Amino acid sequence: MTTMVAGPNLLADLLSGPRPTEWASLREAAELRLAGRELPATREEDWKYTDLKALAGLAFGPAPKATVDISSHLLPEMVGTRQVFVNGHHAPHASCASAVPAGVRYFPMSHASEACHALGSIGNGVAKGLFEDLNTARFQDGAVILVPKNLKVALPLHLLFITKAETPIAVFPRVLVLLERGAELELVEEHHGEGAYLSCPVVEVHVAEGAILRHERVQRESPEAYHLGTLKAEVGKGGQYHSRTLSFGARLSRQQPWVRLAEGAEASLDGLVLLDGAQVADTHSFLHHAEPQASSHQLHKCIVDGKARAIFNGQIRVAPGAQGTDAQQQSRNLLLSETARVDTKPQLEIYADDVKCSHGAAVGQLDPEELFYLQSRGMNADDARNLLTYGFAADVLTHIPVASLRRALRQLVMARTQATSLGDLG
Amino acid sequence: MSSTLNVVTSQEYKYGFVTDIEADSVAPGLNEDVIRFISAKKGEPDWLLEFRLKAYRHWLTMTEPDWAKVAYPKPDFQKIVYYSAPRPKKPQYASMDEVDPELRRTFEKLGVPIHEQEALAGVAVDVVFDSVSVTTTYREKLATVGIIFCSFSEAVKSHPDLVKQYLGSVVPSSDNFYAALNSAVFTDGSFVYIPKGVACPMDLSTYFRINNKESGQFERTLIVAEEGASVSYLEGCTAPQFDTNQLHAAVVELVALDRASIKYSTVQNWYAGDKDGVGGIFNFVTKRGLCKGKGSHISWTQVETGSAITWKYPSCVLLGDDSIGEFYSVALTNHKQQADTGTKMIHIGRNTKSTIISKGISAGDSSNSYRGLVKVQPKAEGARNFSQCDSMLIGQSCSASTFPYIEVQNRSARVEHEATTSKIGEEQLLYFQQRGIPAEEAISMIINGFCKDVFRELPMEFAVEATKLLSLKLEGSVG
Repeated sequence: MTTMVAGPNLLADLLSGPRPTEWASLREAAELRLAGRELPATREEDWKYTDLKALAGLAFGPAPKATVDISSHLLPEMVGTRQVFVNGHHAPHASCASAVPAGVRYFPMSHASEACHALGSIGNGVAKGLFEDLNTARFQDGAVILVPKNLKVALPLHLLFITKAETPIAVFPRVLVLLERGAELELVEEHHGEGAYLSCPVVEVHVAEGAILRHERVQRESPEAYHLGTLKAEVGKGGQYHSRTLSFGARLSRQQPWVRLAEGAEASLDGLVLLDGAQVADTHSFLHHAEPQASSHQLHKCIVDGKARAIFNGQIRVAPGAQGTDAQQQSRNLLLSETARVDTKPQLEIYADDVKCSHGAAVGQLDPEELFYLQSRGMNADDARNLLTYGFAADVLTHIPVASLRRALRQLVMARTQATSLGDLG
Repeated sequence: MSSTLNVVTSQEYKYGFVTDIEADSVAPGLNEDVIRFISAKKGEPDWLLEFRLKAYRHWLTMTEPDWAKVAYPKPDFQKIVYYSAPRPKKPQYASMDEVDPELRRTFEKLGVPIHEQEALAGVAVDVVFDSVSVTTTYREKLATVGIIFCSFSEAVKSHPDLVKQYLGSVVPSSDNFYAALNSAVFTDGSFVYIPKGVACPMDLSTYFRINNKESGQFERTLIVAEEGASVSYLEGCTAPQFDTNQLHAAVVELVALDRASIKYSTVQNWYAGDKDGVGGIFNFVTKRGLCKGKGSHISWTQVETGSAITWKYPSCVLLGDDSIGEFYSVALTNHKQQADTGTKMIHIGRNTKSTIISKGISAGDSSNSYRGLVKVQPKAEGARNFSQCDSMLIGQSCSASTFPYIEVQNRSARVEHEATTSKIGEEQLLYFQQRGIPAEEAISMIINGFCKDVFRELPMEFAVEATKLLSLKLEGSVG
């Protein structure tokens, strides 16, 4: 971290380089919105618990192209369906999309024509976030995925964003996913890295009528990284969007998913956050039930150790006239150390009367009775604690459809919860 | 709701009369001279004038909070009358019979048991009219066990040391915009002191009424329960019907020492404005209890049915080890009413416990929000909180929101929050009607069932009043 020098204004610094020539009008509009703005301060309600002061004093240079060894990230189910981006740039030699069925358009954004006008249009009418605009203004590259009408893609697609920062750099990964009517897709999006860097990814998703997207998101940034991500998803009539976000890395991370549901649409927005040391992880979600008969389900779990802090702000809005809405939200938090901290705020805003909405939040430590029960069966105290901690996390992982990914993540969670000595729980 | 259930026209506000009593008022507006006038009028000691001026100077630097989910025209603080007292026909009353008959009739209409001989058994009442405390009943009887129950102004004169020790000790004068304003201009209120080991033999009660069209009401309540003492305190509020908005910015401070217990119950029925949202009270109140001693206990119970705008968060600071805080609330909004209410439970001591039960009912075009904070500080080993916030929506154009803030910095804490939203179902109504119970009555029964966890915390006569009040307020809103 000593290589970082304090800059006068982080935003201005990040925007100081030349504006890329592609998508110029989109970028210009974003820059206009950013003009004169500063990093949000904790006096702003949305950033009350997440202090960006440490970030404000840093400087990040432009991201150079680099090569990395991706062998440890490959998953057997996804041979021939991956696009790899290193330091924000497409890595053609590491990518391989040969197994993707005909009809699916799956290519780096730098190959897309600007006629791909959906970019930047998801969630129009809703104010753009600062880090979303920053991405729009300066994204280097990213992935475009278009699945045509009624095509059900059998193989999961794999997006790998890897950052290798020898000196502090800023990367702005961008993803656009468009599912036409009745299409189905499974997508795995992973973020890995080493060194000190800032990553501000933006993922835009449009699920048309009756289409289904399953989206697994893994954030394993380097312990010195800042990750400030935005997800915007619009789900059409009767469409389904299911996402699961697993946040393990980064010194400070923020996930900001926004989902709008049309009539009869379904969404799930699950999350698992595992923190240690001085990590801070913030999830600010917004589920907008804009039309009747849609349902949403959210289970957000945090396990916090060391001096780490987890923040959850989950907003559900049921618009006037959105009758028959069914929205369920749970925020569950486990504190493992004396100095860990959780701030959670599940929110309901309801403007229709014929709805079923509930939310719950719980913060605590492991149940002494459960610990006692395991010990009465001959397990030692440490193993009992680790098993229960693992169990707390594992229920978010159970339904990951890609077997090798599920297994890898379970191993990771077992290692993080010191449950490996218990044998294979996968 | 189905068209088979008819819309009955809404019942008008029952307490909307104006009592024509000559009042002793100061011209509208606020400056240091007005504060000096109030202080002089009340013959206050210098330290209290200083307290007011300090609060006023701080208030000038503050801005009105706008984070609550309420929208209203900001009051013009220079148009408010800061002092309005019913002018006595004679300087002193020899007996209750000498009180202005108009005033007595007002209280008869309100059903306040002002006459001692007619008083509800065991209720001692302090009546605050606009800004000034008019009468306090039963005080001699209370004095025999050492309890002080009098108007705030009187307490300043007769027990200045107690007032000086505790005033502003729970809600500092700089706490928030409205608390600062109140600290500068408060005119009267109630003072209660329960000495060590005394269990107050009867419920104490204050009745607040705003009568003057331009007046604001800024009362101040201070209740101190010494070691092992206990008291149950009731507060009721009404106001006449005017087409302008009046401001009510009260401050209530409770202090409970070792093993002391304070139960504070409110039925708030300030005028809510008409069905189009014209007029009504702006109720911007700061209520906070300090569980200062070990094993102390503070319980807030509120039934909020009135006011155009409600901004109110009765809170508990759980400082003493093993102390307990409770908040039981029913908030009902109808027509254009807006309420943003809830509580704060600040766990500082070890093994502190808190319970929050909040029931919000919104009807008409109203907006009803629960906003709460449960904070567990790092030293609050073994802290425990349970919160339940349920909302019921009646009709398609109202809204219900829940904003629970949970901040936990101690791993041994256990904090749970649950919230649900429901409506009165067609099927439920049909079931009642099949058994010969008319829809209006059925709704009233369902609502009472929804609120029973709170109602059972209310003292008996308040529970009866609250039940009636809710059905009255909802008449016509369920179609």
